[in-house]
Amino acid sequence: MKSISLYSDNGSWLVKLHPFSKMFYLVAAILIPLISGRLFMFVITILVSICMLGSARMLKKALPLIAFSFTIILTIFLIQGIFYKDNDSLLLSLGPVNFYREGLLYSAHIGFNILNMLLSFSILVLSTSPSELVEELEKKGFSPKFGYIINSVFQIVPEMMGTMHTISDAQRSRGMETEGKLMTRIKAFLPLISPVVMSALTSTRERAIALEVRGFGSKVKKTYLYSHPYSTADQTMKWVSILCLLAVIILRATGIL
Amino acid sequence: MGKLFKTNFSTAVIVLIPACIGINYIGKLFAQVLKLPLWLDCIGTCIGAILGGPIIGGICGAANNLIYGFTTGDNITLVYALTSLFIGVSVGVMARLGFMESFPKAMITACVGGLAAVIVSTPLNIIYWGGQTGNVWGDAVFAATQASNLPVWLGSLLDELVVDVPDKLITGVIVYLIVSKLPEKLTSLYDANAVVESLD
Amino acid sequence: MSLIEIKNLKYRYPGTTELALDDISLNIEKGQFIGIAGENGAGKSTLSQALLGLIPQFYKGAYGGSVIVDGLSAKTAPVAELCRKAGLVFQNPFNQLSGAKDTVYDEVGFGLQNLGIEPAEIHARVEEVLKRFGIWEYRDRNPFDLSGGQLQRVAIASVLAMNPDILILDEPTSQLDPAGSEEVFHTVDELTETGITIVMIEQKIEKLAEYCDRIMLMHHGKLIDFDTPEKIFSRDDLMEYGVVPPVYTEFARRNDLRLPDGNYPVSRKKLLELIKTGNADRKKLISSLEKNTGLETGVPGESTGEKPGSTEGAVSDTSLSLVSSDRTFTVEDLHFSYIEGQEIFKGIDLSLDRRPTAIIGQNGAGKTTLVRILKGLLKPDSGRLTFRGQDIASKTVAELAGRVGYVFQNPDDQIFKYNVLDEVMFGPLNIGMTREEAETRAHEALKTVGLDGVSRKNPYDLELSDRKMVAIASVLAMDTDVIILDEPTIAQDYKGREKIREIIRDLSSKGKLVIAILHDMDFVSKSFERVIAMAHGEILADGTPDEIFRNHQVLDKAALTSPHLVSLMEELENDLEGIE
Repeated sequence: MKSISLYSDNGSWLVKLHPFSKMFYLVAAILIPLISGRLFMFVITILVSICMLGSARMLKKALPLIAFSFTIILTIFLIQGIFYKDNDSLLLSLGPVNFYREGLLYSAHIGFNILNMLLSFSILVLSTSPSELVEELEKKGFSPKFGYIINSVFQIVPEMMGTMHTISDAQRSRGMETEGKLMTRIKAFLPLISPVVMSALTSTRERAIALEVRGFGSKVKKTYLYSHPYSTADQTMKWVSILCLLAVIILRATGIL
Repeated sequence: MGKLFKTNFSTAVIVLIPACIGINYIGKLFAQVLKLPLWLDCIGTCIGAILGGPIIGGICGAANNLIYGFTTGDNITLVYALTSLFIGVSVGVMARLGFMESFPKAMITACVGGLAAVIVSTPLNIIYWGGQTGNVWGDAVFAATQASNLPVWLGSLLDELVVDVPDKLITGVIVYLIVSKLPEKLTSLYDANAVVESLD
Repeated sequence: MSLIEIKNLKYRYPGTTELALDDISLNIEKGQFIGIAGENGAGKSTLSQALLGLIPQFYKGAYGGSVIVDGLSAKTAPVAELCRKAGLVFQNPFNQLSGAKDTVYDEVGFGLQNLGIEPAEIHARVEEVLKRFGIWEYRDRNPFDLSGGQLQRVAIASVLAMNPDILILDEPTSQLDPAGSEEVFHTVDELTETGITIVMIEQKIEKLAEYCDRIMLMHHGKLIDFDTPEKIFSRDDLMEYGVVPPVYTEFARRNDLRLPDGNYPVSRKKLLELIKTGNADRKKLISSLEKNTGLETGVPGESTGEKPGSTEGAVSDTSLSLVSSDRTFTVEDLHFSYIEGQEIFKGIDLSLDRRPTAIIGQNGAGKTTLVRILKGLLKPDSGRLTFRGQDIASKTVAELAGRVGYVFQNPDDQIFKYNVLDEVMFGPLNIGMTREEAETRAHEALKTVGLDGVSRKNPYDLELSDRKMVAIASVLAMDTDVIILDEPTIAQDYKGREKIREIIRDLSSKGKLVIAILHDMDFVSKSFERVIAMAHGEILADGTPDEIFRNHQVLDKAALTSPHLVSLMEELENDLEGIE
């Protein structure tokens, strides 16, 4: 079964880290440049994330995630570079089009921010099993019902994608066209989506029964099968992240940055 | 007011949420397969909202973006969790007010959902993207407004309006067609007011 | 005090007017194996769910009377409490997974986690049940990747890990292939020895007769009778309740073979014992069997030998000699693979005429792949594929839609309309019929499947068995030359199976070719003229039902069992040979 999660266990140090340490890093890496308000801070966090991904042999898998944001970043540079409201100092002219410094700087902020977020998220996403993340969250008091919802999505979506294919075959067998004019294609949408929705909904009844008879509604406190103790590396990552974030806040508050 | 937001958190409803999130995903996928110029990625959220009420709708919407954002790496959707949340809540409220009972009423619900999406997304677009949506047609509108020196918020609003409202209207049609034929044996499972009648 | 006490139980589902359970009272003692028999809609599943408190707590609706399970009231005690007393395993193997666990091991542990049991205890119990049911080797697999039979064993293990006193099995094998069913029944065999109380609903009536101490006969929500299998299945009015007696009982009745108490035997073992002790006339019995199965006779042993046409290679010879106008599909040297380099079909040759043809074999034998290629849903890698002499390998599915109809196994993969009639008209309209024509055809098709009375109803308000009929009608209405049926008998009770048999006969009398994939060997032997046995992407044998079901080499290779009566006949023949 093809999973929709991008996680794969490649045995690297990032995978072995506790999910929470990676979340501490994630929060710090996103907030630090935003609080500092400086462009070079983005460059620093981006470089740190790249180094981490590289050392865990995950850079290659992160690339496609970043790649698709490039087109939109490019259009932002175009539109803001030309039309930004505070545009004043002309930087370069390409024929009739003028690019301004303010607009480009503004775009750079947006672009770097997106890139920084994408990278720091990929660290968590690529190296953490969703079910482990959920289990650790539940142990810290996150509702098991919400935990179930998250885990279940990962099982349900691939299953539904499987039926998607069968449904498309079944409707084509009855002579339905799925290609051609826009109207033909729009008309095909309902016969395709409707059976998926109906069977998803009707199977919720059986699944709910399956959960009920396995004690899902029990008021007893749930127990967990696995434990993931904090290692020294986890402690280091957590505290470095927290301290760096605090430092930036203090520097910013005192006006040094 | 309390009745409008009354929610049943039974196992059946909990199981409904991931199913709705899955439906969102499949809707988006089918739209891509058929090369439709629409997103159709909140069908599940609307169904969840209609069956389970505004709170469940909101949860479906927010959880949808949070889960995909956190795990598929597509964290741009993460920011729009707020939009999805409001679509779910507004559709849920409209459904509880009886605006899913007939086709014209369902279209009003769809418009409300679309407007909720526009109102919440616009500030997010401005903060995150400088006002754009990433949709070609919408961004063309945005570029035009910026060229004619209109304020960013107006441009962004128009950008979003062009993209969201048609999408939500089509979504509304589909959701209405599906929900209106659900058997009661199923819908009663999610009903917050269902009680056991006595035959003794 | 009995383990389960049911008193005047009444129940009505929300939004309906009829009682699903109507004044049921009975007691079940500890350690008994109880069967529930009845046609679809009799209230069997509803009753089983009432034991767990799902009725009324989960479904709501209207409830009366009481169910007491080991001192707990099923009406008020939380399901999370009741599930410690009684476990439930139901039909669909996939839907009873928690849907939240990545491995079989964690799946089995899920219920125990919810009950707050200590981790060390969970690990011990999970290991114990996994080993007991022979699924320990799958512990790290994703449950969604397992076969149906394996999954049902995981489901049973998951429930038993919670140490219930009662196990409820609601048609656990109805959606499995023969090998999967055997796996599950093998597990049930083992369970009977543990002394756990079991309540089983099952359409495979021979199995019910074999296991049960007592059987509940249900009809329209009422409990008609609760007695020993012999008494229940010897009832003269059994068929009125939509229940067919086991083939052994029917056979005994025809030949007036009675047990000392006046009832008929219900299992093969009992029947054979009776024949031996009563010293009945075997020859007469055998000839009675032949008449009934329509199988040709022969001196034992001879029919299992090599026969032309019963092995691969010789397959097409018989059919090639047919008049060419009778020829439908011809397949020559067909190669196919889903993943490059992993060929499923390595050169299949096959020629079909107009005889109703059943394709049998285990899951993974390539049956569905073959019919999907015939239908044009899959394109062969190489080889020739013609329909009535015309090359169809390059035709699109939509182009073939008007000539070859295909009913998918799961009706819910296609139903999307508001009412039954519109659903059935969808196909005919797509292939270019006018509205009037489509409507006439649709009504005709619905009459054929016996659903014209509900043509205005919402298909989703119908039971699964009727939805399957809607799907069949929606293809019949397209009036295609060929109709392919994928597992039409699944979820059908006796009446439904008879209906399908009639449809097949009707279609082939109109000169249409019916191809069906089937797991129900009794049904195959009664309804088809030609049987193709497949295994591992090869055609093992091709011939009449008699040729196939008497060919043990082929059956063994395809991992199939012969129909009940055929094996009974063989046993009698052997017995006769022994006497002579």
